Amino acid sequence: MATGGSPHSQTALRFGAQIAGRVGETPTLLTVISREADRPKADAILARALQLLKPAISKVEAKVRVGHPAEEIIREAEERSYDLVVVGERQSHRLVTRFLLGSTAARVVEHAPCPVIIAKGKIGSINHILLCDSGAESPSLLSRFSAQLPALTEGEVEITILHVMSQISAGPGVSGQQLRADAEELIELRAPEGELLEQDIQLLEQLHLSARPKVRHGLVVDEILAEAREGDYDLLVIGAHRGEGWRRILLDDLAHQIIVGADRPVLVVR
Amino acid sequence: MTDSPELEPIASASGNSELSWPTQGPISWTAALRIARERLRLDKVVLFIISLFLFILAIILMREGARGLVPLVRDQFSVTNAANSLGFGWLFAYMIMSGSPVAAAALTFFDAGVVDELGAFAMITGSRLGASFIVLFIGFIYVLRGRDRATNLSMGLLPLSVTGTTYLVGLAVGTVLLQTGALDGVQLRSGMLLNSAMSLVFDPIVSLFASFLPGWSLFIIGLGIIMLSFNLFDRCLPQMTVKESQVGRVSRLVYRTWVMFVLGAAITLISMSVSVSLSILVPLSNRGFIRRENVIPYIMGANITTFIDTLLASVLLSNPAAFTVVLVQMVSVTLVSSVILITFYRRYERAMLDFVAWVTTTNLHLALFMITIFIVPIVLILM
Repeated sequence: MATGGSPHSQTALRFGAQIAGRVGETPTLLTVISREADRPKADAILARALQLLKPAISKVEAKVRVGHPAEEIIREAEERSYDLVVVGERQSHRLVTRFLLGSTAARVVEHAPCPVIIAKGKIGSINHILLCDSGAESPSLLSRFSAQLPALTEGEVEITILHVMSQISAGPGVSGQQLRADAEELIELRAPEGELLEQDIQLLEQLHLSARPKVRHGLVVDEILAEAREGDYDLLVIGAHRGEGWRRILLDDLAHQIIVGADRPVLVVR
Repeated sequence: MTDSPELEPIASASGNSELSWPTQGPISWTAALRIARERLRLDKVVLFIISLFLFILAIILMREGARGLVPLVRDQFSVTNAANSLGFGWLFAYMIMSGSPVAAAALTFFDAGVVDELGAFAMITGSRLGASFIVLFIGFIYVLRGRDRATNLSMGLLPLSVTGTTYLVGLAVGTVLLQTGALDGVQLRSGMLLNSAMSLVFDPIVSLFASFLPGWSLFIIGLGIIMLSFNLFDRCLPQMTVKESQVGRVSRLVYRTWVMFVLGAAITLISMSVSVSLSILVPLSNRGFIRRENVIPYIMGANITTFIDTLLASVLLSNPAAFTVVLVQMVSVTLVSSVILITFYRRYERAMLDFVAWVTTTNLHLALFMITIFIVPIVLILM
């Protein structure tokens, strides 16, 4: 759990405490200062953070690193092989976030070796999860994330597996049945999107979790954010931007756009 | 090179066929394939040379014939100002179902003094607007045959909407560039040697036509030949059968806007036609689908390099002002597209997609749209 003492960092702490309390592991509380002279400031930040965490977690390991916040969080994650990094993200103006980004959270998401939760918006218990699976990655998003899923949830959890079809026909004469179909129809038609949703449902059933498949048609980012708002989900789960080789340069960073636009916690799975 | 679309997936003659070469003789499989490829390439090269020869011949014939059309264009069609030229180019492209020949015609009209600099510029803009209609027209025929509106019209409506918005703003930017003469100094000339060679080859042919045909008819013959040359040029392009290949999988991804912008510009630079460039997208995806996110920047890129044949025509005319007109067209569309991509692309993207969705929602909306795109150029001509 990374904190800089700001209000959005406190959101991250509260969310991190909730998860850590459920898992039963000792979490690490990290703050980063730009120079050694700021160590008293770091101690004060950690003391405030420990007070905030106290009701939920009894044991916390506190750490101070010196350097650039994003770089030090990533370095710490690499050195200690954490299962999860929790950071906050300010609800800033989109234009500012877009052009100055930027933000520590965005850089951590881009380079961290493990999944990252960006805690923002309303923080509560995780009962309603929106899992956004593009199907473009191998292994699939859910198979990479399924081992950690039970630790995040408690009691009855509703999971919606969302696939957004942003395709349109590339020219006249193309059969457009699948371009209008809902999840059930795509599963019935054995379309690639239907098979993906079916695989995800089967995987969740093995974990004794039930899930509802859903397909939306439109621009990927817009539809994910609209579904998140309309369904009032507690957590969005998305895949990270592919960070290697030609894909990094050529493919659009949709994960970043979702993080910037979302008004609730986002878990980015690598 | 033409705007006449071939939107059905193109089947490769050699791609999937089981080749069975004679077993006797020293020829190996790899050598046989290499020979087959070389033969295929030679065919394309010959076809390319023929289409280029016809293109040059057509431009010269149109230039010679354009002078004879002054009374017809000025008096009968009343093309006397930029608005008239815009509407004239627009309707002309509808009529011949292609934009590039109209753009070339605009240059020959300018060279012959039928229209002024601004008129030629507006007529070229009109030609692109008219050319964008062609893919929509094909889709409209599918709709009339009972296929659904959204699937069959989206890829016709999107290029038309993107071209309409960027070119009409580009028209204003271009007018300023032309009036200030900001790009007058940038020139590309064909050179004395090339001009002499062209005169040597093409003048006798043009003289032959002119000896027994009225002057104005040379323009019509040139127009026919330029359409034939574009048609032949389309056949020079490599054919693709990808279906379930790696390319098919790659087409499912969402690319950065500038990647699709450059790709659209590069493919159209080779194909010289937006509709051919768009039709290439069909066989590139295994189900004939393309991501919404990828389409608009691709069209924007394609809309710039589609002028490459018109630029070539201006060089062949050896008219520096004609070259400036085409260059201004390319620069103004590039400027408008770049501003959109850099500043408010997401809002623009949503607006275009929402508009396409609105048009395809009901038959009434579609009818209103179709009537509008026919009435507007007619009104422009009458202005």
